[in-house]
Amino acid sequence: MAGSNEVNASESQRVVPLNTWVLISNFKLKYNMLRRPDGTFNRHLAEYFDRKVPANATPVNGVLSFDRLIDRPTSLLVRIYRPSPFLDTDSTQLSTSPVSSLLTDLIQHPSTDPFPVIIFFHGGSFAHSSANTAIYDSLCRRFVSLCNAVVISVNYRRSPEYRYPCAYDDGWAALKWASTQPWLHSGKDSKLRVFLAGDSSGGNIAHHVAVRAIESGITIFGNILLNPMFGGQTRTDSEERLDGKYFVTVQDRDWYWKAFLPEGADRDHPACNPFGPNGNDLKGLPFPKSLVVVAGLDLVQDWQLAYVDGLKKAGQDVKLVYREQATIGFYLLPNTDHFYQVMEEIKSFVQKWIEYKITC
Amino acid sequence: MGPYPCGSAATGWEGGRSEAPCAAPEIDGLLAGAGYRVRSSDLCHVAQRLERLESAMVGSSGNHVDFAHPASDAVHYNPSDLAAWVDSMLSELAPADPGPARHAPAPDAWEDQIYSQPQRAVAARMEEEEDSGIRLVHLLMSSADAIQRGDVALAGSLIDEMRLLLTRVNTGFGIGKVAGYFVDALTRRLFSASSAAAASGSPAEYEILYHHFYEASPYLKFAHFTANQAILEAFEGHDRVHVIDFSLMHGLQWPALIQALALRPGGPPALRLTGIGPPSPDGRDSLREIGLRLAELARSVRVRFAFRGVAANRLDDVRPWMLQVAPGEAVAVNSVMQLHRLLSDPDSPGPAPIDSVLAWIRGLRPKIITVVEQEADHNKPGFLDRFTEALFYYSTVFDSLEAGRASCSGAQQQQSTAVAEVYLQREIRDIVCCEGPDRAERHEPLMRWRARMIRAGLRPVHLGSNAFKQARMLLTLFSGEGYCVEEVDGCLTLGWHSRPLIAASAWRADDFDEDARPIPDNFIFNSISNTNESNSSINNNAAMLRRRNSNNNNSRSSDSSSQQESIHGM
Repeated sequence: MAGSNEVNASESQRVVPLNTWVLISNFKLKYNMLRRPDGTFNRHLAEYFDRKVPANATPVNGVLSFDRLIDRPTSLLVRIYRPSPFLDTDSTQLSTSPVSSLLTDLIQHPSTDPFPVIIFFHGGSFAHSSANTAIYDSLCRRFVSLCNAVVISVNYRRSPEYRYPCAYDDGWAALKWASTQPWLHSGKDSKLRVFLAGDSSGGNIAHHVAVRAIESGITIFGNILLNPMFGGQTRTDSEERLDGKYFVTVQDRDWYWKAFLPEGADRDHPACNPFGPNGNDLKGLPFPKSLVVVAGLDLVQDWQLAYVDGLKKAGQDVKLVYREQATIGFYLLPNTDHFYQVMEEIKSFVQKWIEYKITC
Repeated sequence: MGPYPCGSAATGWEGGRSEAPCAAPEIDGLLAGAGYRVRSSDLCHVAQRLERLESAMVGSSGNHVDFAHPASDAVHYNPSDLAAWVDSMLSELAPADPGPARHAPAPDAWEDQIYSQPQRAVAARMEEEEDSGIRLVHLLMSSADAIQRGDVALAGSLIDEMRLLLTRVNTGFGIGKVAGYFVDALTRRLFSASSAAAASGSPAEYEILYHHFYEASPYLKFAHFTANQAILEAFEGHDRVHVIDFSLMHGLQWPALIQALALRPGGPPALRLTGIGPPSPDGRDSLREIGLRLAELARSVRVRFAFRGVAANRLDDVRPWMLQVAPGEAVAVNSVMQLHRLLSDPDSPGPAPIDSVLAWIRGLRPKIITVVEQEADHNKPGFLDRFTEALFYYSTVFDSLEAGRASCSGAQQQQSTAVAEVYLQREIRDIVCCEGPDRAERHEPLMRWRARMIRAGLRPVHLGSNAFKQARMLLTLFSGEGYCVEEVDGCLTLGWHSRPLIAASAWRADDFDEDARPIPDNFIFNSISNTNESNSSINNNAAMLRRRNSNNNNSRSSDSSSQQESIHGM
């Protein structure tokens, strides 16, 4: 079904820079070793392989980070990134004066003007990576600089140890927590100008947390979904066409859904297929405006496009950014047009909606 | 592939380096930002190896993806060195295919780069933002600042204010508890002479505190466990082995090693243990007593054992001849939280005692040197800086102890936690109250230790996925789900809620000549026991992976070592 390895390797090597190819192939092969046919996961080896970075309360390029435990019983950690509040932020050399890492200094208002708070859910198909994984630490730092935002990266519980709905519960907990933090509220109306963002499984989480937020009274100013992970029971054309060609296989997608969804559920479960036969109707509901980025070489694109369609049919505001020659993970390294242009789209999206007046 | 330069430095890392500009500019900067270290010139080669690895993975199971792979049973080392990892996987799966010979980049100058920026993770424990808690921290910082500026009067009045505040705050846990210890330490600093301020008890008392700290938390267990694993691996294929323990204490680390050696395939080696410790003031030979107990254990599991105690107040009073290392024996040097005592103030001129000690360690040509140290920077010359670091470090440690106590039921365990806090209090007092030669707790972070070890001519030995996995499993025995083990470029750290608190690394000094060039990373495992084979690096890695109990270069001739050991087992 999938092409021979040599064909696939050379195809995928043609469309991404060499270091990107090395990075993503490395993930692919390592991840292959972690998934077992019986549905269990080699978590010890996964944690060993994962390249992590510590939080750093000393600003680097004007961005600092620190970790907070927001729910003790579930050990729910978030990593918070923010523009440096300190005056002495000459980023070409390290500040030699003692920089206070006192929590109260770190949680000063970034600005009196409205600023966005981006709650970010990292990818990894619900099973891999953490908030302190190096690739996601880089991405979150970039979001801070790009949007002048505070970014809250959620270290949600992963499958198969924690299935649906744990990741959504953790995402919701983070949103609720953010709404209780005065320092995250901005503007004359003192609102939490929160955006939900995520890549791959994180995009899926962003959608479902937004659904949960509908009845809560917490307004979400926008959803940013990067190559979001959706699926369904039927096989789509893109899955058949692209199976195994650009780092991803239908088989591995099936494994991750099986590991995340409740036992016995199929891929038409609404978590996986929100506009499928078991989905909920969002018509008339105050769902946030969405920016959905789809990579043209991602085998699940038909499901992502169906998601965009589903939002439109429900009368929701959605902008699709379709990058024809992009593969999964294009946003991990800043070395393609895809990367920079999509970052600009995100920046514009946030700028556009942050001043949106909520009329109820 | 597009106009973007592959080698440009990754975002988030520019300007973040505290060391000199990148010493290995040909490393791909973007991959470095992702945690991987690959030379730009090697990218093509690594890509080819990855392709080949995928073929090999598919080939061996017949299935394209989604298999439990034999490679996942292999022991992996240092995932950051992507090229070495791919090669080691290939040698495991396709041994007939050596591929083009390659040399790994000399890693040492580079190893510092990735994680070298200064870190000051804020304690995640400060989740309870009661005004009193925040106020206490503010007051602590202000008084430390006052002390640094020499404003004793202000410091004194701030301390009074804090004492008052402590009566209104819950001092049973959280910030109230930790603040109490720091207020106490500040008071001592202001009102006692430096040497009296730390007022430590006898060595015997210290050993008791240590024992309770061992019981109440996983930190020392992690230290012992990780070190023992590395020692065990280093001793493979050796018939006569000699462990030098820089701080014997109650010998808690050694029963596990003795038992592991007893179970070794092929039989146990003859084990010598040299334990260094302070002299007992009351005429007892406490070192000998411990040695006797260990000998008893060794006898019961049929391990030939000999013990020698070396009484010394300071490590730099020890001379190599006291250790009586015999020719032909494999030496392991074990230091759990001892080396930092040999450091001096960073801005004081001249060599520190650590330099001469590392030099004689190197002279012993050890197969393995296990080093475990607190992961903190408590050796900063500036008082306020040091105080701040310590406040957040010990807050995190206390937080983890609390979580452990909250979830355990035995009265014994609860008592251990209380005494463990006294153990930590000693360290806090030392860091806050003492200056100059009086201060012993000069903790420095892993990255600085690594640089120091490399400067001393020691070679890194990577702690692998096996040790990592077992350390994580060890933690599941502890309630208080917040501990995390991390692999950092060949070393392991144990932390609480993403803050590393203790770091373990391993080194060796047995495998090169005085004037040889630095050996690239790939060749570190160039035969633990075979020095004369002309294998390629890949085959040597394969030997490593398969744990071959290969021909032993140590002769099995009669043991001609001296009979001066104080205790023999068997």
